[in-house]
Amino acid sequence: MTFTVRPDSDAKLRGRIAYATDLDVPGMLWGALVPAPVARGRIRTIDLRPARAIDGVVAIGPAELAELLPSATADVERPVFPSERIVYHGQPLAAVAAPTRALARRAAHAVKVNVEELPAIEEIEGFDPAHPGPNDPEVIAHVLARHGDLDGAFGSADFVLSETYRTAGICQVALEPHACLAEIRGELWHVTTSTQTPFGVREDLASMLGIPEERIVVEGTWVGGGFGGKGSPLLEPYALLLARASGRPVRLALSYREEFQLVRTSLPSVVRIESAVTAGRIVGRRVHWRLDAGSALPGRDFTTGYAIGFIAGPYRIPAIEMEGYAFRTNKPPLGPHRAPMAPQCVFAVESHTDHLAARLGVDPVAFRRSHIWKEGDVTHLGQKVGAFGLDACLERAGTVARTWRKDAPPHTGVAVGVGFWSTVTGAGGEARLLLSPTELTIVEGEREIGSGSVVRGIVAVAEAVLGISRDRVRVEYQDTRTAPFDSGVFGSRTLGALGQAVEKAARGLIDQLAKRLSTPPGSIHLAEEAGELVVVFGSNRPTVRSLLTEKELARGGLSSEGRHYGTSGAIDTERVVDGTFYPYTDFTGAAHVAMVAVDPETGAVRVMRYAAFHDAG
Amino acid sequence: MTAPISRLVVNDRPIDLAAVPVEERLLDTLRWRLGLKGTKEGCRTGGCGACTVLVDGRSVLSCLALTHEFAGTTITTVEGLDTDPVGARVRGAFEEEGALQCGYCTPGFVMALTSLLKEQGTEASPAELAEDLGGNLCRCTGYATIVRAVRRVRGEAP
Amino acid sequence: MPPFSLIQPTTADEAVAALRYGAPGETVVLAGGTDVLSDIEEHRIRATRLLSLRHLPWKTLLWSGTSLRIGSTLPLRTLERDVQVRHRIPGLWHAVRAVGSVTLRHQATIGGNLARSAPTSDLVPILLALDADVDLIGTRGARHLPVDRFVRASRSTALERDELIRSVEIPEARPSAFLWQRVRPANDISQVGVAVAYSPSRTTWRIAVGGVLPRPVLLPEAERLLSGPTPAAPEIRAAAQEAAHRAPFATDRRATEEYRRHLVAALLARAVSAATARPPSASGVP
Repeated sequence: MTFTVRPDSDAKLRGRIAYATDLDVPGMLWGALVPAPVARGRIRTIDLRPARAIDGVVAIGPAELAELLPSATADVERPVFPSERIVYHGQPLAAVAAPTRALARRAAHAVKVNVEELPAIEEIEGFDPAHPGPNDPEVIAHVLARHGDLDGAFGSADFVLSETYRTAGICQVALEPHACLAEIRGELWHVTTSTQTPFGVREDLASMLGIPEERIVVEGTWVGGGFGGKGSPLLEPYALLLARASGRPVRLALSYREEFQLVRTSLPSVVRIESAVTAGRIVGRRVHWRLDAGSALPGRDFTTGYAIGFIAGPYRIPAIEMEGYAFRTNKPPLGPHRAPMAPQCVFAVESHTDHLAARLGVDPVAFRRSHIWKEGDVTHLGQKVGAFGLDACLERAGTVARTWRKDAPPHTGVAVGVGFWSTVTGAGGEARLLLSPTELTIVEGEREIGSGSVVRGIVAVAEAVLGISRDRVRVEYQDTRTAPFDSGVFGSRTLGALGQAVEKAARGLIDQLAKRLSTPPGSIHLAEEAGELVVVFGSNRPTVRSLLTEKELARGGLSSEGRHYGTSGAIDTERVVDGTFYPYTDFTGAAHVAMVAVDPETGAVRVMRYAAFHDAG
Repeated sequence: MTAPISRLVVNDRPIDLAAVPVEERLLDTLRWRLGLKGTKEGCRTGGCGACTVLVDGRSVLSCLALTHEFAGTTITTVEGLDTDPVGARVRGAFEEEGALQCGYCTPGFVMALTSLLKEQGTEASPAELAEDLGGNLCRCTGYATIVRAVRRVRGEAP
Repeated sequence: MPPFSLIQPTTADEAVAALRYGAPGETVVLAGGTDVLSDIEEHRIRATRLLSLRHLPWKTLLWSGTSLRIGSTLPLRTLERDVQVRHRIPGLWHAVRAVGSVTLRHQATIGGNLARSAPTSDLVPILLALDADVDLIGTRGARHLPVDRFVRASRSTALERDELIRSVEIPEARPSAFLWQRVRPANDISQVGVAVAYSPSRTTWRIAVGGVLPRPVLLPEAERLLSGPTPAAPEIRAAAQEAAHRAPFATDRRATEEYRRHLVAALLARAVSAATARPPSASGVP
């Protein structure tokens, strides 16, 4: 396989791509948020008058919501502005808009906020989650699954190794801060925003603002890095309400300081993992974990249910117990950051696995390979494992690791780690293809966030199915009014989901063309001749133009639709004791090798070499 | 307080501005008054490099530059490198090595590397050039492809 | 809102005169702007009156014999690119390369760094080890004093209200080195910085550390343990331990006191080796 230049390279290298931070329309106001000064507290008063005294400033707070929102059915669990309770430091309590950036900042500072501070709840350890005390965090999710004879496995083990691992919250720190531009256009509440999930944002906005989805338009922009941090609404509700209050378009963007304060980091975790080992094999494993979900709401946390898929590792273990808690603390609602929950799980499991191998005195790669899932195995929740290339990745990684270890300079270490991932069940992608006499257009509702899956990946799928050249394929993004539905760009799902939607739609085109030529679909493909697209079958090369009806030509070409919604094998419900789980689809895995040097005097760490072996399906 | 600025040369065009606040940053003048959005707004405190422009051929953080201090200088933004031969070599190397993903940091890197090459010609090794790009952050690529692009632009095997 | 004004004098007299006007603390002096404009953006300082030194003739770099005078508004990158500086005062070259990034150094100045007087300044330790002087100019004329008496604490120096830093003089080019430790290679604050310099004229060593409170300091007790231009390994070890013990470190969010002491011991030994190495080592990264 060869590398191909991405089609958006040139525009990006010349600075010709517009991001949400670049949006600029006539009459635009600059928005700014008023942050809560404490992590937990009660609001006594919010005085907007000093802000409103500044010329041209519009200020809104909880008192203005009733008149601003068209209906009272806004989500009371997720108020745009809290009327009483502050649940995280920096939580927006009010918002302002002004004619310039400087005035907006000044106005936001001018708002007088009087709060009663309460002790913040931050610790997720040191208490029994089954019997929390009054100052302990609230449990917002609990999962428990069990399978096999745990007592037997642990009771008769050669040894049991028990370890605890902790991770901190990681910030996404996309270089582009969150930014959007909101405008009320008649009946439509329109927001142009940097987001990974235009349709998800529309749905959430409808719920938060109490407005029907049909009256909300979310238009995505090129995204300057998402990494999970732009997977849910953040600024859009405030920008829309400011636009409504002022009657003007409002630009709202975060400073980097605000990004760090408001960021939905990955969830800090405490993972206790213990394994029972007999005759060199893991015969039982118990994993108990705690997650800090920040101020995420009960029922809106997907993380414990997600973690359970990864927490015990992709290893065959006959007796297993997995129990996890997510707690609500006084931080922003925490969330996804690159493979949500996987790094926390993989860090614990893989470190633990190395220690097990060391305890046994065996090669850590061989130890993994003797347990790793293969096609036909079942996961810890009883789902069937389909095609799965992790063993092959491990074998390659092991070879590289051995080579690197042999030539390793002093004070370096080499290790292999395994991770696996799946795309999320139920999330879907739809695409509309339009084949004109000269080009193929892919109409879709996702924006490119950087991975290349939208500008290049789905194009490559169309090329492969149709035999068309990439120069003849155009991707057309449309906003939520007209685009085919898509769950969003996250979790490495785009090429798989949207790609399969494009594949189906492309095959649909082939089928339609083949039917018109009275020839089997497998016998045709597209090519280009004198600036026009032709269908090649046998020695014939009729133009696409000649195969389209007048009506189709008037409409722009031959159309075809494709949908892909991931499905999955069932979870074995016997194993489930408590909680909601997310069945996984399309498992994929990777084995990585790292060589790291540590300065023995200063402790400075450098990554010297790194190799990645991925199952790309 | 606002004041006029004369003889700000931007991408070879002399610009006269009637009333620019004295506290205005060059970044904001370029983006919001002159519509040159290729220079990106990042941290606004000099730490990320996304706002890098050239002043008299040398890289400068436009977020930490008062526009009024730059009257009489020659400013080049990423748009102004369209026909610049060094800029073209840098773009070509980045494109060939896939040294970009979301693209937000990309104009800053192009400006910083172009400045280094103009300043040092073939004096610096690719490793030194890569080290000298430490003021530009990228969150997508992990820098490996950018380092390969630097080697390529210096004519070495990536 | 009070008017935000920018004064751009072209002569030293104009600059000094401009300082006399305005209420105390109202005027902020702008050299390269890389600290001040960042501080204004982050609301750490409130300025309504900026006095820019950009157009003053203070961007000079003059050798006379073995001494070097650096104009206070000379961009650090120009200092860094000077081949003589790199070879004759390598510790200064290392230190300059530790400041921010190349792009930032096209703007940043030695005067600005000294006036900001950060406890984590990467330039102050080497200037201490080089026995550098600051040359000040004000309404009462010019005066100079050692950097050691100029720098007091964070944002606090011996500058009077009506004074500006005009230049910095390094009396003697010395074999020297500056090593530092931080999490990221550029645009980061050092946990610890160690500067060493050997004075051929006095046949003594100078050792200074940064990352201490309230300001970087010289460590005479450690200096005394090094004798001659190429001290033996046991002397270096002893000096390293003494420096680690003496330096007034504290624990903060960047490092614990214990780790800093440990770092100083390691970096000091390496710095002395680097300073005595011929030719000078390429960078300050340990």
